[in-house]
Amino acid sequence: MASLSPLLEGLAVALTPLNLGLVFSGVLVGTVVGMLPGVGPINAIAILIPVTFATGIPPESALILLVGIYYGSQYGNSISTILLNVPGTASAVVTALDGYPLTRAGRGGPALAMSAIASFVGGTSSIVALVLFAPLLSTWAIRFGPAEYFALMVFAFSALSSFSGGSLARGLAATGFGLWLATVGLDPNSAIPRYTFGRIELLDGMDFVVVTIGLFAVSEVLHLLGESERGQTAPASIGRVMITLRELAQSGWTMVRGSVLGFLVGVLPGAGGTIASFLAYSTEERLGGPTGTFGRGDLRGVAAPEAANNASVSGAMIPLLTLGVPGSGTTAVLLGALLAFGVTPGPLLIEEQPDVFWGLAASMFVGNVFLLLLNLPLVGLFVRALRLPRWFLIPGVAAVAFVAVYAVNRSAFDLVLMTLFGVVGYLMRKLDFPLAPVVLGLVLGPLMERNLRRAMALSGGEWGVLFDSPISLTLWALALASLAAPAVLRCWSGHEPPGESAVLEGNSG
Amino acid sequence: MRRARFPGVVLFAAGAAIGLEASTFDVSFLTDPIGPKALPYVVAVVLLLAGVHTALRPRGGVAWPTRGVVAKLAAATAAFLVYPLALPVLGFVLSTTLVVATLSHLYGAAARHGLPAAAALSAGLWLLFVRVLALPLPIGSLWLR
Repeated sequence: MASLSPLLEGLAVALTPLNLGLVFSGVLVGTVVGMLPGVGPINAIAILIPVTFATGIPPESALILLVGIYYGSQYGNSISTILLNVPGTASAVVTALDGYPLTRAGRGGPALAMSAIASFVGGTSSIVALVLFAPLLSTWAIRFGPAEYFALMVFAFSALSSFSGGSLARGLAATGFGLWLATVGLDPNSAIPRYTFGRIELLDGMDFVVVTIGLFAVSEVLHLLGESERGQTAPASIGRVMITLRELAQSGWTMVRGSVLGFLVGVLPGAGGTIASFLAYSTEERLGGPTGTFGRGDLRGVAAPEAANNASVSGAMIPLLTLGVPGSGTTAVLLGALLAFGVTPGPLLIEEQPDVFWGLAASMFVGNVFLLLLNLPLVGLFVRALRLPRWFLIPGVAAVAFVAVYAVNRSAFDLVLMTLFGVVGYLMRKLDFPLAPVVLGLVLGPLMERNLRRAMALSGGEWGVLFDSPISLTLWALALASLAAPAVLRCWSGHEPPGESAVLEGNSG
Repeated sequence: MRRARFPGVVLFAAGAAIGLEASTFDVSFLTDPIGPKALPYVVAVVLLLAGVHTALRPRGGVAWPTRGVVAKLAAATAAFLVYPLALPVLGFVLSTTLVVATLSHLYGAAARHGLPAAAALSAGLWLLFVRVLALPLPIGSLWLR
């Protein structure tokens, strides 16, 4: 089934000078942007989408660039997490548990090296799994009709709502908010305007880039205004950015387990990198036994979440590419970008646009190699960049966000919307509402509505069609089960799984 | 305690408003069996239920910003809102310099550091986006006369 020849063709796509340059700049820019205080992958990708769009590169190249930014920014995020204890994403909160104590003990360098190597192992090994499983899932997903897709999206929403925040009600409220934003504009079926408040600018609907940058980047700029700078300067001494072979060998199985777990969890909607790194860490902590040094600066405590985190990126690509249904805020933004580039991911993608799929898979591999080669020698430089004053870095993020939002439609109105969403995002963070479900709702909402209406049209208005096939029944059951999953996780590991709100605590801690 | 119920009340009100507005989405011809109302109704129900739940089980302990921080937040938001007005007139470089310098100031920079840094950053972004990436940014009507 999975013969190697398409992968070789993918390599041919990935190794063209343009795409090599793009994946290189993607991981580099991603690392630098992701490293900025509080800027995680979702901000990095959203900010760079309009720029990517404006350059007019072909879709497969754009995807290669954006995915490069994705794992580049995840690594950049680990740098500031380990050195400054400012995780920009919930998944990085787990890395901080052992990463920051290592830095305080003067071993920040080895922690960064461990993180780079574990990311590489998790990233590359999971690409192999992606290449093996994605075509299989594609052939199976061809049988999905509108009712199945609708149920799948309900599953994605319920999983993300239940995993992303402290309470289910708040997660569902955020999802509802996102779905409502998705309905703003002209209804594609009947062409009547919905919730446009009489503004012509809203007839086309809300642009997900504007909303995402407002909710995440602008609200972060506002949020950091109220944070003290305590403990947020890079330490003077981090030690050599190297680990010994013995340390590497000790973490070997940790990385393998983390990668497998990360990939599997990454495939599931809702869970993603956060739950992946959390599970990997708890597993290692259990295996380490009561004598383990986890939480006090154990390199394995960095290796496990970093391997899992990066493996989950490849895992998350599977539902995104083969079903067209993302399971997290970040992959939702990627889906939005793909649709904007005229690529409709789904079961036919691998067959109809093999360049996109195999080119991406091969370039992810190349990108991980770049990331490792770049980071071991350059980390010192990055650390120096982190010593730039906050009064320069954070307003700088805001300025780049302005350019990005303006570039979407060249409209000043979008900048006003962005600010509005910045204030809403700030209030949501303060009140402990998760933000990722809003983005998922906004991007997935139109697809969900289309599938629901198509299913109902096919059945002539008979609601039973939604629960007709074994596949949709299974998906509905999974959706229900996902609502109970956080409680089960809590019992198993004895920790509270980190939600988005943990990022705030991490920032202020 | 009353303050803690506020988010729930807002959600409930939003759900009600969305549902009421949806009831006016009447189409004269039948496009599909459920029409443009269905998803908004689902949204309304989700928000109403989430609102009731959040209002009945309020959570305290929100770390509201101090008065000084609120003033900073207001100033930053005002700068964000002035920016789109200034952009077409003053152009990208000058408006961005002003907004970034304001933000730098709010983040504690002295004007003699913040202003040159903001100008350099804005000019750098202009060069990067307009010259290198060929992404047009407004020059400003003030300079075009």
